[in-house]
Amino acid sequence: MIARCSVKYAGRLESRLDEATRLIMVKADGCVAIHADGGAYKPLNWMNAPNVLTETEREWVVTNPKGETLTITLHEVLLDTSHELGEDPGLSKDGVEAHLQELLAALPDAIEDGLTLIRREHPTAIGPVDLLCRDREGRTVAIEVKRRGEIDGVEQLARYLEYLSKDSSLGEVRGIFVAQVIKPQAKTLATTRGLACVEVDYDTLRGRKPDELTLF
Amino acid sequence: MKFRSEREQLAEALGLASRIASGRVGALPALSGVRLQVKGDVLHLTSTDNDMTLQATLPVGGDRDGVSLISAKLLNDIVRSLPEGKITLEATAESLAVKSGRSQFTVPTYNALDFPNVTPSAGAPFSVPAGEFGEALRQVVRAASGDQMRIALTGVLLTGEEGSLRLVATDSYRLAVRDVTSIVIAASTKVLIPSRALSEVQRLLSGATEAAISLDDNSVTFDVGGTKLTTRILTNEYPNYKNLLSGTYPNAITTGRDALLDALRRARILAKDQGPVRLAMTGNGLKLTAGTKDNDEFEEDLDGVYSGTDITIAFNSDYLAAGIDAIPTDDVIIKTIDPARPAVITASGDTDSEYLYLLMPQRI
Repeated sequence: MIARCSVKYAGRLESRLDEATRLIMVKADGCVAIHADGGAYKPLNWMNAPNVLTETEREWVVTNPKGETLTITLHEVLLDTSHELGEDPGLSKDGVEAHLQELLAALPDAIEDGLTLIRREHPTAIGPVDLLCRDREGRTVAIEVKRRGEIDGVEQLARYLEYLSKDSSLGEVRGIFVAQVIKPQAKTLATTRGLACVEVDYDTLRGRKPDELTLF
Repeated sequence: MKFRSEREQLAEALGLASRIASGRVGALPALSGVRLQVKGDVLHLTSTDNDMTLQATLPVGGDRDGVSLISAKLLNDIVRSLPEGKITLEATAESLAVKSGRSQFTVPTYNALDFPNVTPSAGAPFSVPAGEFGEALRQVVRAASGDQMRIALTGVLLTGEEGSLRLVATDSYRLAVRDVTSIVIAASTKVLIPSRALSEVQRLLSGATEAAISLDDNSVTFDVGGTKLTTRILTNEYPNYKNLLSGTYPNAITTGRDALLDALRRARILAKDQGPVRLAMTGNGLKLTAGTKDNDEFEEDLDGVYSGTDITIAFNSDYLAAGIDAIPTDDVIIKTIDPARPAVITASGDTDSEYLYLLMPQRI
């Protein structure tokens, strides 16, 4: 609905939106959001589902189980329409970790010269290691791939290394934390844990074709 | 600090310094600066991005000794904007005044203490003829990679080979090797130098007669007429390129260098997005084609003396043109094995053993 409206919220605190023209969205799951004509995603006010919407001619009252209320007073309704949108396929992000991992599995030397892939998604009891590789000296290398390199990714790799070090068949195992961008705090933590950090460029990786003829 | 200088001389030195200074004004703004130090009638200019450092001197009219650190790009832009003639630069604690005629700029400076200590390589210098070394760089640096994910390939290998200097560069699609037999160097010498630094050295060498090279474990310094460019040495392992030099090539065509370059320039109009140019070599000579029959097509016949079996082979047109352009003689020789194995481009005549350009074909 597009309407000239005023809104009052009563609950943990009280807030008020004075009369103005706004977009009021009532979603199929019950969420209600009041938007101004600006901002990408954040409503001026909202009430998450589950809740109960009570309609009268001039007023909507949305009440949630905690007793909080959002009262929308409709001064003038400019558009009132309803559409079934159906099931959404979800957001498909270009460059998600899976694709980055796939590219790096095909081109492990993009991480480090001389690196060869042993296995992708190497299973362990605490979860799969993204890439298990062998370096030029024959050492096993565990690689954790993230789109954004943050502290939790470093911790994850450290846990894998601790686990893999118990497997004597792998010999000495070292770790490389790979991401498009690695935060300074994550780099510092990785250094402390003895892990290498490598930032990779997704577009460059995509531009390289594994079937190109090369000298090396 | 206060000194006077001719605009032209100062602009030339600052142009060089501003290319070396870091373009990123991030955590260390001082790295985007040029350090100016006046001692008597000599101006010492230093700029660095922490990987590569330039140290140059310039005779000036020194009025007051001192040091100042200012954005290299800003000062370069200012000096270049001024008319021919004398320029006076005078630094106070926090600013630098640049005066010329009736124009005056006053710009803030960085804290000179923030500028890193820079020292040239500690190795014993050996001299090289500037012209020959510069030509070798021209032929080889072009084949180095710009791919920062394969750091080793962004370098040029400077090594001793049978008592003389060898330069090697590759981006994994092509390999350029130049032996400079007139430059004697220890066989044990083997350093990997960032190609970006060597591009700057190539500029410095223009017009010079001699240069000195100093090497230590971490860095290399090129001294050209008192201007010193120091760069760190890359420690990454270089691929074993020598395996690629021992191939035998049953097919060879000798053709005119300039005519082939001209034809390639035309072919590249249709060989879009670094698409391939196809070379059909037969007893009748060389036919260049590019594009596709379905859409647009280029075709040109060139004279050539061919020996071997007929072959059609495709190359990245830019890489092929770069290889042909590097050849200094009137004729070039293109040697092939088959359409999927590397081809070799060399000069014709006596010098053909000193330079070769190995080029991987593209799938047709």
